[in-house]
Amino acid sequence: MLRLRIGFVLIAMVLSFFGARLVQLQGVDPQSYAAMAAAEGAARVTLVAERGDILDRNGVPLADSIKGKMVIADPALTADRAPELARLLSERLSVDYFKALTALQGRTEGSRYEFVARRVPSTLATDTLAAVQEAGFEGVFLQDDPIRAYPAGDVAANLLGYMGTDEPLGGFERTFDEQLAGVDGEATWQSNSGKGVRIPLRESTLEAARNGEPLRTTIDRDLQWFTQKVLAQTVQQYRAESGAAVVMDTRTGEVLALADVPTFDANAPTEAQSTDDLGSRAMSNTYEPGSVAKVLTAAALIDADKAFPRQRFRVPPNLARQDRVIGDWFDHGNIRLTLAGIIAKSSNIGTVLAADAFTPVQLVDYLNRFGLGRRTDIGVRGETPGILTPGEAMTSQTKDRVAFGQSLSVNVVQMAAAVNTIANDGVRVSPSVISGTAVTDDGVTVGTDVATRERVVSKQAARGTAKMMEKVVDPEDGVAPRAQVPGYLVAGKTGTAQRVDGDCGCYDGSTSVSFGGFAPADDARFTVYVVVHAPKVDGGGGSVAGPVFSRIMGYVLGRYGVEPTGGTPSRLPVEW
Amino acid sequence: MSSPALQSRTRVTRIAQEAVDRARLTVVPRVRTRAPRVPFVTLVSLVLVGGIVGLLLFNTSMQQASFTASSLETQADTLAAREQTLRLELDELRDPQRVALQAQQMGMVIPSAPVFLDLASGTTSGVRTPATRENAIQLQPPAPIKPANLAPAPVVVEVPAAPEATAATTPAAPAAPTTKPRKNRNR
Repeated sequence: MLRLRIGFVLIAMVLSFFGARLVQLQGVDPQSYAAMAAAEGAARVTLVAERGDILDRNGVPLADSIKGKMVIADPALTADRAPELARLLSERLSVDYFKALTALQGRTEGSRYEFVARRVPSTLATDTLAAVQEAGFEGVFLQDDPIRAYPAGDVAANLLGYMGTDEPLGGFERTFDEQLAGVDGEATWQSNSGKGVRIPLRESTLEAARNGEPLRTTIDRDLQWFTQKVLAQTVQQYRAESGAAVVMDTRTGEVLALADVPTFDANAPTEAQSTDDLGSRAMSNTYEPGSVAKVLTAAALIDADKAFPRQRFRVPPNLARQDRVIGDWFDHGNIRLTLAGIIAKSSNIGTVLAADAFTPVQLVDYLNRFGLGRRTDIGVRGETPGILTPGEAMTSQTKDRVAFGQSLSVNVVQMAAAVNTIANDGVRVSPSVISGTAVTDDGVTVGTDVATRERVVSKQAARGTAKMMEKVVDPEDGVAPRAQVPGYLVAGKTGTAQRVDGDCGCYDGSTSVSFGGFAPADDARFTVYVVVHAPKVDGGGGSVAGPVFSRIMGYVLGRYGVEPTGGTPSRLPVEW
Repeated sequence: MSSPALQSRTRVTRIAQEAVDRARLTVVPRVRTRAPRVPFVTLVSLVLVGGIVGLLLFNTSMQQASFTASSLETQADTLAAREQTLRLELDELRDPQRVALQAQQMGMVIPSAPVFLDLASGTTSGVRTPATRENAIQLQPPAPIKPANLAPAPVVVEVPAAPEATAATTPAAPAAPTTKPRKNRNR
């Protein structure tokens, strides 16, 4: 009996201990224990969203995202054999040996997390890790670190922008970051510690990453490359400060190429010669367009019935206006030119005389409708609206200069779109560089889907102006025979403008030479506009920018299979 | 239950009063038929053991599947990364710059104007312009001009014309390198 009682007492004591423990676990603080249980062997992984590609008009990637890894060292485990490991890693990953060594030894005391290399291609990283483990090293880990690659290097780099370590730092990458970036996801599960194998039937959550949407541009990669090369060659040959060129589809306003020189390699933005090269000068720098703007004045005059191509003008050697004397680029006595001759020979005096039929308000109104003085809003960062004095505030002297393209400033795409208006039978198509639609970081919707069309001058006025512009490339009458494309009717206009020095606010003696035109002249398909800033070798729009125009136009016509129209060349007289 | 029994008893009483009086009837004990226990216990045990073993096997196979799944996932990741790397390599091979460099090395030149061949009529349209070496575009930027201290001016040493006799006796060779202007001047 006694033994039985002692037994009962013992059992009761043990059970009461259990009971007390049960109350402690369940009653006092159940959550913390549950959390501890969950944390034991819980794995939490950030699923990195893949950044959307930036594509050209044919779907060829201009910017591409590929899986990458960062190689991380735990110095507590690697410091002992750091030199050997650093040698292995530096050979495999082509990183600097001493940088790898410092990382493996720990940059600070007690550090447990050091980057050895970042943005290593996934395959290389896993191969390296396997080699490291095979050699018996510990403390090297991999983590996801996507790589942004620009397969064509500097092609369209000024538009694309580039990526910093963790964030986009310029161009489309930054402007359309919201669309491109995507949203990271997260997965949690229970795993057997360290091996990464999921324990089945245990709690696990998965919030899938939402990859970034690709951004399709209207750029044609090969054409963009060609444009950049031809432009770079000219900029270098004439020792110019910079240059820009645009190729535009006349009918749709799509920008097929927008080249900036000097440029940079988007894969290595830190190696750029100057930080100014990183953006798009074509969009952010203003300059005075010079004589190319004469065609806008002429088209406006014809549209307003204030002039016609065969209209006769007596052009004096120089023209005294209120504050200064206006001269021409070539010395001449009293000559008799038609309006076509004024355009073909690029006479400032003739243009001023013709524009006398306009009040400043009328001229500025036309120029505004051609798109000058307001942003094109194509989605390129830092675009300048240019400067166009309102007509009410414009003096007649300023108006005289505006008529031949001085005293107003533009950006390259603005000017190209204005010339394109004449090519497109007088209808201005707003230019676009994004295919479809996209929303910029300023909340502006841009793209071909929101492109607008607006009639600026009548079809007759545009055709008449185009006929006059054909004379510019005429070997006998024109100033830019080298802008001719063999076999095609080409219409164009040269420009040689004085450049304003920003510091003194005066003309510094250097020039911006340009050429804008389209082909085939009687059924335009492409508009090309080229500007070369501050060439150190003597030359005007016809001799410097003309050949660039010819080369690019010849290439784009062949590339898009545009046959010569076989139309009759312009027979407008230039003199009378 | 009791009422039909009561009835039978009264009926019995009525029918055979004497016999009832003589012999007291006792209830015949119900014969219990004992079902054999062994098959049942065996069945239950089998179900239990089968269940446990089945569960164990199921669990094991799930674990196995989990291992397979994660190794397949790793493989898929590796293959996806490989595919991306290859795609990038392909894109780099398609780089217009690379293609142009190779084409130019093979003597190909981008023409300045296109000519179209109509296959149906066998005629061409456009002006045939020869593509010459001058049409080749410059693909590589020229080497940057070195600063003066890295590209020193060549040292030119004027050597007085030596008489024939001394030239024969003294070897001219050591003097030659210094008199030669450097040809690989960087410009």
